Amino acid sequence: MSKMITKATKFEIINHWILALSCLFLALSGFAFLFHLEQLNAVFGSFATLKVLHNWIGVVFVVSLLATVSHYLPVALNLSGDDITWLAKGGGYIIKNVSLPEQDSINSGQKLYYLAILGAGLLISVSGFVIWLFPASKSMVLLSHLLHNVSFVIFAMAIPVHIYLATIANPGTFRIMVQGTVPLEWARKRHGKWIKRMGY
Amino acid sequence: MKRKSLLISPELCIGCRACQVACKSWNQLEGTKTNNRGTFENPPDLNPALYNKIRFVEVPSDKNDMRWLFVSQRCMHCDDAGCMKICPSPGALYKTKEGAVVFDKDKCIGCKLCVAACPFDVPRYDRNDKISKCTMCADRIAENLAPLCAKTCPTGAIKFGDRDELIAQAQKAGYQKVYGQNDLGGLGAIYAFKEPPKFYGMEDKPQIPESVVFWHKVLKPLAVIGLGGAVAASLLHYAVVGPKKDKEEKKDE
Repeated sequence: MSKMITKATKFEIINHWILALSCLFLALSGFAFLFHLEQLNAVFGSFATLKVLHNWIGVVFVVSLLATVSHYLPVALNLSGDDITWLAKGGGYIIKNVSLPEQDSINSGQKLYYLAILGAGLLISVSGFVIWLFPASKSMVLLSHLLHNVSFVIFAMAIPVHIYLATIANPGTFRIMVQGTVPLEWARKRHGKWIKRMGY
Repeated sequence: MKRKSLLISPELCIGCRACQVACKSWNQLEGTKTNNRGTFENPPDLNPALYNKIRFVEVPSDKNDMRWLFVSQRCMHCDDAGCMKICPSPGALYKTKEGAVVFDKDKCIGCKLCVAACPFDVPRYDRNDKISKCTMCADRIAENLAPLCAKTCPTGAIKFGDRDELIAQAQKAGYQKVYGQNDLGGLGAIYAFKEPPKFYGMEDKPQIPESVVFWHKVLKPLAVIGLGGAVAASLLHYAVVGPKKDKEEKKDE
């Protein structure tokens, strides 16, 4: 067995799952509000309960989202020509075995995904809080309702792709969010820039 | 079941506000404090215990210093109701078979989105954070009784009946255009206005806010299509291109 290196800390892993579970609950209850999914009453009892949970789990979500900033934002913002090349080649997901520029701890696609989730996440949180806490201002509520739903569409499209790419599409990736470790050779191929920076 | 309506004729209203009192009586609504703002119009605005209010509008007059117009302000029982469209809680707002838009406080979750989506600024929230508004006395209508405001009105300024008949009556009485005849799919409270609607403090063309219509027609379907599309694209990619494996990458090296 090759040498294992730490890719994600325990805090990062636990926070990821808090974010993921709160996000999935919020999306599920969001769909229930949009399409009146009364079947959920079998689990949560009533829509009044669902709304209270939606609001407070929203708080959990935004705290967890802000906790990710130190993990991923500096890397995600460190964009260069390599990222354009990587994205232009579809990250090797469209034509296999293309040569790709070396990647940092997260690749160009993950950078974009993180920026989209952070942006849409902040938008959906702020607009949600306006609807929850400032219902008296009609124009603010209408604008927030619109933005809440625009960012909801972004989440509805991004989450399945994230789940796919982080599991069956990339064997060996999922363990990063479980054990937090990956084989050195595996990481060298995918995150060469990071490996060099770390001095392995 | 024929759609029922209220026909409101400001020219017949004498501003006695017996309808306000009767409404409170039938719906067991508490009194609200009035205050002197230099007008007889009181209370100043609809509130959780005031489903129906007579608006006192002062307009210029040739003969006198001014003329009074009395307009019953209340839920308009829209056919295409903004409150029902935006409401996230199933059954909190619904329509009776006679066309009244009514609420179920037990199912209201207190989000107040209906307040923002109503084109007429009607829904109010009671102290338990539940919606409160005119129900067209749906409980009376179900028993073949007229809403109490209409029954109480001494001059016929508020009439209740089959919507088509009321419109025909108003047209026969010389009102070419009945306010609310076609707006929002047709209102359940229609008005025989002599002057332009603005005179009476009403919008010319009441509409559900555009952002709510856009949300309903575009964003809601897009959320489903987006989710389904992303899942389908992922599965298709897995089937056609397949996962990334180290072995295949080695060939390239």
